[in-house]
Amino acid sequence: MPQVPIARHVLDNGLRVVLSRDPRAPLVAVNLWYDVGSKHEKPGRTGFAHLFEHMMFQGSANVDKGEHFSLVQAAGGTLNASTWLDRTNYYETLPGHELELALWLEADRMASLLPAMTQEKLDNQRDVVKNERRWSVDNQPYGDWDERMQRLTYPAHHPYHHPTIGSMEDLTAASLDDVGEFFAMYYAPNNAVLTIAGDFESEDAALALVRRHFGPIPPNANLPAAPDMTVEERIGTTIRETVPDQVPLPRIYFAHRIPPFGTDAFDALDVAADVLGSGRASRLYGSLVREQRLAQDASVFIFPIVGGAAMFAVWVTARPGVAPEALEAATLAEVERLATEGPDDADLERVRNLHAAHAAGALERIGERADRLSMYACLFDEPERVNSEVSRYAGVDADRVRAALTESIGTDNRVTMTYVPAEAAA
Amino acid sequence: MSGRPAATAPRPYRFPDFERTRLPNGLGVWLVPLPDRELVSVQLMTDAGAASEDEAQAGIAALTAQLLVTGTQRLDAAAFAETTERLGIEVGSESSWDSARAGFTALGDQLDAGLALLAEMIRGPRLDDGEFDRLKAERLNDILQARADPGRLADERFLREVYASDVPYGRLSAGTPETVEPLGVADARAHHAAAFAPDVANIVIAGAFTPSEALAGVEAHFGDWAGRGRGHRAMEPAQRGGRRIVLVDRPGSVQSELRVGHLGIDRAHPRYFDAVVMAALLGGVFGSRLNRRLREELGYTYGARCAFDPRRATGPFTATAAVQTEVTADAIKELLAQLQRMRDETPADRELAEVRDFLVGVFPLRFETTAGIAAALEPLAVYNLSDEYWHTYRSQIEAVTPDSVRATAAELVRPDEALVVLTGDASRIRDEVEALDLGPIEVVAA
Repeated sequence: MPQVPIARHVLDNGLRVVLSRDPRAPLVAVNLWYDVGSKHEKPGRTGFAHLFEHMMFQGSANVDKGEHFSLVQAAGGTLNASTWLDRTNYYETLPGHELELALWLEADRMASLLPAMTQEKLDNQRDVVKNERRWSVDNQPYGDWDERMQRLTYPAHHPYHHPTIGSMEDLTAASLDDVGEFFAMYYAPNNAVLTIAGDFESEDAALALVRRHFGPIPPNANLPAAPDMTVEERIGTTIRETVPDQVPLPRIYFAHRIPPFGTDAFDALDVAADVLGSGRASRLYGSLVREQRLAQDASVFIFPIVGGAAMFAVWVTARPGVAPEALEAATLAEVERLATEGPDDADLERVRNLHAAHAAGALERIGERADRLSMYACLFDEPERVNSEVSRYAGVDADRVRAALTESIGTDNRVTMTYVPAEAAA
Repeated sequence: MSGRPAATAPRPYRFPDFERTRLPNGLGVWLVPLPDRELVSVQLMTDAGAASEDEAQAGIAALTAQLLVTGTQRLDAAAFAETTERLGIEVGSESSWDSARAGFTALGDQLDAGLALLAEMIRGPRLDDGEFDRLKAERLNDILQARADPGRLADERFLREVYASDVPYGRLSAGTPETVEPLGVADARAHHAAAFAPDVANIVIAGAFTPSEALAGVEAHFGDWAGRGRGHRAMEPAQRGGRRIVLVDRPGSVQSELRVGHLGIDRAHPRYFDAVVMAALLGGVFGSRLNRRLREELGYTYGARCAFDPRRATGPFTATAAVQTEVTADAIKELLAQLQRMRDETPADRELAEVRDFLVGVFPLRFETTAGIAAALEPLAVYNLSDEYWHTYRSQIEAVTPDSVRATAAELVRPDEALVVLTGDASRIRDEVEALDLGPIEVVAA
C-alpha cells in the first residue's frame, strides 16, 4: 500500500499539528479533533458535548451566526462536525488556495467563542438538537437501539452508559454557564489535534499559517483529568431485554464488551466482524439470509472506542413468521462456530482483500485521510497508524480470531435485546 | 486576525479528459485514465430501468437488477459472492427509472478480472428461481418495514398523490406490494432478455489503467454480446389536482414528516441550470432559505431542504422537513411562505453569488474519487448530454442571474398548486393544519 506522508509538530501552546501533503488534486482538508466527547459529560448534562458542537457554528468574536458555513461554502468547500463517545471533530475540505480561510475560522472559534454566545442562540440550537433526537431516535423504528445497548452493556457509573445525543431533560437543563464552563475546560489548543492534508504549498508554509492563527491562543493549564473508564472486562452474565415497539418485524441485537480500540484483540475482532458481517459472502448473510432464510438482513458493528471496553454488536431482522428464538439460536450458532473453528483461508483472503480496497477508497478522500490522521493522533498520539492499518489487519491470523472471539462472546458477557411488534407483545 | 484572510491564487482544475468509443455491437465505452490513482471504478448502465418494464409488472426491473449479483450460469449465488469478494471486489447492482446499473470499485490490478465477472453477470445471469423468491420476499418485507418509517411513508405517499393516477412515476420505481406479489422468475428472465442489450448500454471505466488495456478488456468480455434492447416507454406525467393536504395518520409521532411540492422538470429542461441554482438557494445548502428559517431561526427541525428530481420525463419538486409535532401547522405556513417569496422577489446579488460560488468552487471536490468521476459520466450516457457537459458546467452556473432565477421560480415553484403530505399524529395536528385553510384535507391510515 502507498504510504501517507506525515509530519508532526507541537506548538508552544500544546496544539498537536499533523501535516500530510498531497498535491494531486487542488484540494485541502482541515480537520480538528478535540479530546472531548460525551464520556466527559457531567451528571445531569447528557448530550451537552454534542449541543456544544452545534454552538460552535453560532459565531465567534469575528464571525457571525451562520457565517462559518456560508464562508466555507462560498469558497467552494464542504464542512461539518460530529460528536461521539470519545471525541468531537470539526472539518472542512476546500480548494487548496482557501486553506487560510479554514484555519482562521477554526482558530477564531477556538480562541473566542464566548463573546458571540447568547441565550437566544442556545435556545435555538437546543430546539434543533431536540429535533435531531426526535428525528434519529424517538420517531424512528428501532431508533433507540444504541442508547439501550450502551445502557445495558456499561454499568450506571460508566461514561459509556449514556448516549451522545443525551436526554430531553438534560438538554432542557443546559445553560449558557455550562457553555462557558465547557469551553474553558476543553476547547484549548493543548486538548486538540489539527491535521492539514492535501494541496498546500509546503510544510513550512502551512506550519507558518498554523502558528499565525493558533499560536496566540492560550492553553488550559488545568485540563481536567480524563474520566475513569475502568470497567470489568466482561458483563458477568447474559442480560436480556424485550422491547415492544412500532415495528413490523422483530429484530435482535447482541452486544459484548471487548478490549478497546487500538489493542491487538480489537484488531482480531475487527476481522471477525467482517468474516461474519461484511459482504454477501459473509457467514451471517450466507447462512441466515441466503441459505436458511430466517433473516431479512444481518449486520455486525464494532465500536472503535478507547475507554475501558469497546463493544461488539450484531443485529439481525427476522423474516415474517420466523420466531425470534429460532433466529437468535441460528445467529449464535454462526458466531460460536467461528469462535470454535476460526476463519478458514478463504475467509481471511476475502476480508483482507476487501479491507485493502476499502482502505484505499477511504484514503482517496482527502477529508477522510485527515480525519483518520487526527483520530490516531488524538486517541493514540500516533498518526502513523494510518499507514499500518492494512498490515495490522492482514496480520491477524485464524488463531487470533478464535482466541479473541472465545474470550468475548460467552454467555457471561452478552446483552440480547429483542424488538418485537407492539401489538404482538400486548 | 479579525478579517477573513485573502485566498491565494487558485490552481486551475479541469474535469478529466475521457475517451469515448462504441463497439460494433453498440456498446458505448467511456474511458477516463487517471494514472496517479490506485483504484479503478467500473459502471455499466443499460436502459433497463423501471421505465423499460410493463406497468403490469411494476418492480420487475428492480428485482432483475438485484438478481444480477446472485450468480451466473457458471457460479451460484454463494460461489459468485465468494469469487468476487476474494478478489476484493464488491459488485453492486440496482435500478432507477432511467437505467439499471452494475459495477464495482477495486484496486487497479483487478480490472480485467472484474470486467470478466461483470460481463458474466450481465450477459449470463443465473436468474435462479430460489434466489428470485428470496429477493421478492425481501422486497415485500422491506415495504412492510417502510410502513413503520415516517420518512419513507411520507415519500411514498407524496409520489402516489402528486401524479395523476395513470402515471407510473406515482409509485416507487421498485413497485408496490400488489405488483410485486404476482411476479415470478420467468418475468425476470423475460425482462432480462428484452431490456439488457449492448445497443442500449454504456460502460464507464475511471481510474488506474491504460486506455488500450481497458478497451481490450471491454472488447474481450463484451465484444460478442449481441442483441437489441427494447428501450424505454415514453411517459407524459401530469399532476393530480390542485393544492390539498394528505395527512397520513401515525399515532404517537413526536414529529411530522412534511413533503410539499408538485411536478418539477425533466433532465432536458431548458432552464435546468437556473433550476439547479434556484433549488440550492432555496433549500440545497446549509444557509439556504428553508434551512435558515425553519432550523436556524425557528428551531422547528433538524433540517429543511428542497430539490428537483429530473428524469427522462418530468420528475417531482419536493421540499422536505421533519418538524416537531407541536409546530406542524406553523412549519407548513413558513415553508409555503418561502416558496412564495422565491416567486415574488428577485434574489439579492450577494445571496445568489454565494450559491453560485459554492457550485462552481466545489466542482473539483465532487470528482475527488474514481467512483465520483465514473458516476459523473453516467448522466452524459443516460441522457445523451454533450461530451463537453462538464467542461462547460461552471460557465453555465456562472451565467445564472437574479433575473433568470426569478423567472425560473415563477415557472417552476408553484405553492398555489402544491400538494402537502404529512406523516404525523392526526389527533394532535389535524385541527391546526385544517385551520390553515390551504385546501381540502384528507386523513389516511398509515
